Amino acid sequence: MTAAVAVGVLVAGGVYLVLQRNLVRVVLGFVLLGHAVNVLVLAAGGMDRRGLPLIGQGDPATAADPLPQAFVLTAIVITFGITVYLLALARAGGADTERDAVEPGDDGVGGGR
Amino acid sequence: MIPLVALVAMAVLALAAPLLHRRLGRDTGYLLAAGFAGVGGLLATGAPAVLDGGAVTASWTWLPSLQVSFALRLDGLAGLFCLIVLGVGVLVMAYSARYMGDSNRNGVVYGLLTLFAGAMLGLVLAADVVLLYVFWEMTTVCSFALIGTAGQVAVKPGRRALLITAAGGLALLLAVIMLSVVVGTTDLAIILAEREQVLASPLAWPIGALIATAAFSKSAQLPLHFWLPGAMVAMTPVSAYLHAATMVKAGIYLLMRTTPLFADQPAWSALLITVGLITAVAGAFMALREHDLKAILAQSTVSQLGLLIAVIGVGTPVALAAAMLHTFAHALFKATLFMLVGIIDKETGSRDIRELSGLRRVMPITATVTGLAALSMAGVPPMLGFVSKEYLFQGLLQADFAPWAGPVAGALGVTASALTFAYGMRIFYGAFGGPTRQPDLYEPSPAFLAPAALPALVGLALGPGIDLLNPMVTRAAADVVYVGAVPEFSFWHGLSPEVVMSAITIAVGSLLFLRRDPVDRALQRLRLPDGAALFDRTHDATLALGSAVGRPDRTGILAAHLARPVAALVVLGVVGLATVGELPPRSSTDQPLDWPVLALLGLTVAATVRTRSALAALGLVGSVGLVVAAWFLLAGAVDVALTLLLVEVLTAVVAVLVLRRLPLGLGGAGRPRVTLAAGLGVAAGFAAALATFALTGRRGLSEAGAWFLESAEAETGGTNVVNTILVDFRGMDTLGEAIVLGAAAVGLLVLLRRDDDPRAEDERAAARLRRGQTDGGLVLQVSSRVLIPGMALLSAYLLWRGHDEPGGGFIAALVGGIAVGLYQVAHGFPGLPRLLRPELLVGAGLVVALGTGLGAAAVGDPFLTPFDIPVLGAAGIGSALVFDLGVYLLVLGLLAAAFDRLSTGTPGAGPARPVSAPEEPTAGEPTPEPAGSRPRGAGSVVGTPGGGDAR
Repeated sequence: MTAAVAVGVLVAGGVYLVLQRNLVRVVLGFVLLGHAVNVLVLAAGGMDRRGLPLIGQGDPATAADPLPQAFVLTAIVITFGITVYLLALARAGGADTERDAVEPGDDGVGGGR
Repeated sequence: MIPLVALVAMAVLALAAPLLHRRLGRDTGYLLAAGFAGVGGLLATGAPAVLDGGAVTASWTWLPSLQVSFALRLDGLAGLFCLIVLGVGVLVMAYSARYMGDSNRNGVVYGLLTLFAGAMLGLVLAADVVLLYVFWEMTTVCSFALIGTAGQVAVKPGRRALLITAAGGLALLLAVIMLSVVVGTTDLAIILAEREQVLASPLAWPIGALIATAAFSKSAQLPLHFWLPGAMVAMTPVSAYLHAATMVKAGIYLLMRTTPLFADQPAWSALLITVGLITAVAGAFMALREHDLKAILAQSTVSQLGLLIAVIGVGTPVALAAAMLHTFAHALFKATLFMLVGIIDKETGSRDIRELSGLRRVMPITATVTGLAALSMAGVPPMLGFVSKEYLFQGLLQADFAPWAGPVAGALGVTASALTFAYGMRIFYGAFGGPTRQPDLYEPSPAFLAPAALPALVGLALGPGIDLLNPMVTRAAADVVYVGAVPEFSFWHGLSPEVVMSAITIAVGSLLFLRRDPVDRALQRLRLPDGAALFDRTHDATLALGSAVGRPDRTGILAAHLARPVAALVVLGVVGLATVGELPPRSSTDQPLDWPVLALLGLTVAATVRTRSALAALGLVGSVGLVVAAWFLLAGAVDVALTLLLVEVLTAVVAVLVLRRLPLGLGGAGRPRVTLAAGLGVAAGFAAALATFALTGRRGLSEAGAWFLESAEAETGGTNVVNTILVDFRGMDTLGEAIVLGAAAVGLLVLLRRDDDPRAEDERAAARLRRGQTDGGLVLQVSSRVLIPGMALLSAYLLWRGHDEPGGGFIAALVGGIAVGLYQVAHGFPGLPRLLRPELLVGAGLVVALGTGLGAAAVGDPFLTPFDIPVLGAAGIGSALVFDLGVYLLVLGLLAAAFDRLSTGTPGAGPARPVSAPEEPTAGEPTPEPAGSRPRGAGSVVGTPGGGDAR
């Protein structure tokens, strides 16, 4: 239940930001969406077992599923890599995603005539 | 072996032609003609065996998994078509040597013509249906390329020819697949022998229809005929060779070859005879109303192909033999006529019979030869065309799919032939009759005329000398006639019905010719549907539709690209909600501590969305990250929480570096955008929440998870299960992910080059001095001296212990990255020490990680299998740790690249953005702008109400 609400809140905020014009906002939106997916993946492992997946520490019967944790761990680092890259793009190209926007139909594609 | 050598020889000639052309110029044609003759001679060595009823075969394994072989078979039918392809090929090549100029482009034309000839040979020699299809498409492509050599005028006709014939090719492919499914082999001979099996299958009629479609498209039958007249924009040798004598006969060949399957089926006969005769009559009508000699010949080809298809549809031994004889005769007289029209065009500068007149006085030999060919086409004795047309009539009369079929087919055949007679006379009289308007003209050189004249003379000789052709044609017909004996042809076979039909043909044709003026006026008034225009309209409409469908995707507005996938996900959520059935029970999983965390999450996300200050937004997103990390901790994911914590710190540092050069305001947004974004956001949030609720927490521990918890220690010696998954069990995934980070680092290095301009550095230093600030500040510098060694040690320790305790390569590298960042900030971005150069780190990381994987391979295990390292193993260092070190270096490389380039680099490509003014606040000293103020720099249009939405 809490996982579902958390995912919902993060997706709502992330989608709102991603649809903005300023590239910094878009990047931050992607960060939030990344969080949402990570929470979802972890929740997919089941939220009823919350023990540490460290052998020899705590009760093995309540240890959390380690596989989603491994997925999420790499996903976080990858998201970080992408965030850095997007920020570099913002740095290289300016923060406005629509300044040089090409109008539909201006590109000479289509028609074939 | 012989057929293969022939094909290889053609391929070699095709490749050599452009090179030879560079040295020999247009005389290359003679060399190629000799080459064609040589290949023909080679194939002729198989003639005795073939005429005895045998065949010359060759077969190589080609696609063994599909049981497709590169099998060739020279039998009677293939031999007849080889003779046509190579014989006409020799003539056309010799003709081209005088027709073409020395332009370099023509080297390519020679190469393509030869390649086409090879493909055509392969098509008729193929003994495997897949191979046949491949050669079929090769001829289509060659034809398209050759039409294209005509330049800009060929764009539309070439497109029509390609699309129509390639569509037919696809029909053939379908038929081939169905046949091989039904019979279980792609061997042509076996398929033809398994006639009963094919006919008994439910796919019999689709197969027949598809084969007929393929043949109709290639052989220009109504209503697909219009590509052929259009293809006449190609130069005359191409028209004579591909679009009169050979390629358009590929459809004829296909129908002849597959006749044994369907010959006695009334529906097959009815289809072929109906389409063929309608095309024959309509084509002849269209030919009679043209004024361009080449256009007349093109329509005439359509008409003659129709006759051939009709008579193949009849399917009796006489009919099939007549079809073969007429194919041969047609190749002779039509190639001649095309080449002669090319000569007339070259000599007079026109092909229009309204402009040409009286050429017989200045070009008597050309006139005689044209007359011979026209007579053969008109079916006048003693030409070969007369004999073949006699037997065509005889064949048509045997049509028996309905009681009335024979007489009607015969009548239509006579009609088409009478029209043929009339336009044959029209060609001859149009060019050579009447008063001489251009008295200064003279005969073409013998070398130019000879290749065109030869087939006309052969047509004259073979009429009475039909006995010379008998063995070959009857042998070819015997290959496809599955019941009944093949007759021998004779020049004169008594006063039979077909002689009467010939007489009617000539009488009506003469009448049409004598009354040519009223006939012409009447025909010009006819409004015929223009297939080419209809095709072009459909083609344009299709492209317009595609353009309309794709238009939303061709915007540069980012939000427009992102909104639709999000909306699609919402729709998916709604559909899922509506269709989801009974779900397993959900175990209650909430804990009291979850709720305050959730409340914090809601607050921070809401604040992030609302703020207009970039710095505030950064801080708030960082807070969201911390809250999520806390949530991970509650969920028992300590490694994940640790990683996220560190990532948040680093993200904040990197983002601040970027924001130093960007406007600090985020700008507002117009109402439509806010409404749309908020609406989509809420909808997507709901969809995601519902999906999460529906699809998680409804089962126990996963099998994989249980296995990892149980066996991780035994298998790897590590007790931190998450880390063992990363470095031991799923090392390949981790390697891939680490490489993605390395790629991001390289991307950064490419995107932002280092700003090594000393003046810029001086300016920055001066700006810092003006603000009374030394690099980073004294406190930071002193504390960094203490902190950095400690952080480096911590980082190493986390790496080392990762296998058993929380830690590992990712986390350790993030700690190391923070140390690098601290160093950079404290010392005012002086550039990194040599050892921490990002390219070095990324390279070293790749080498270490891949090397570990290859080490396993060296020991004999699969790539990336953990193994013991001989000496270090005693110190507790296994291959997993070394691999983790590689990951560590790659992640650190990305961080170093980020700090290095985002702090000092400038965009390496594209128009230079105005570099921010020196007084712009730095990371250490933020002066947030009042919300909503006009941002500076590049983002100057941010905040225009309604910005992008209004467009």
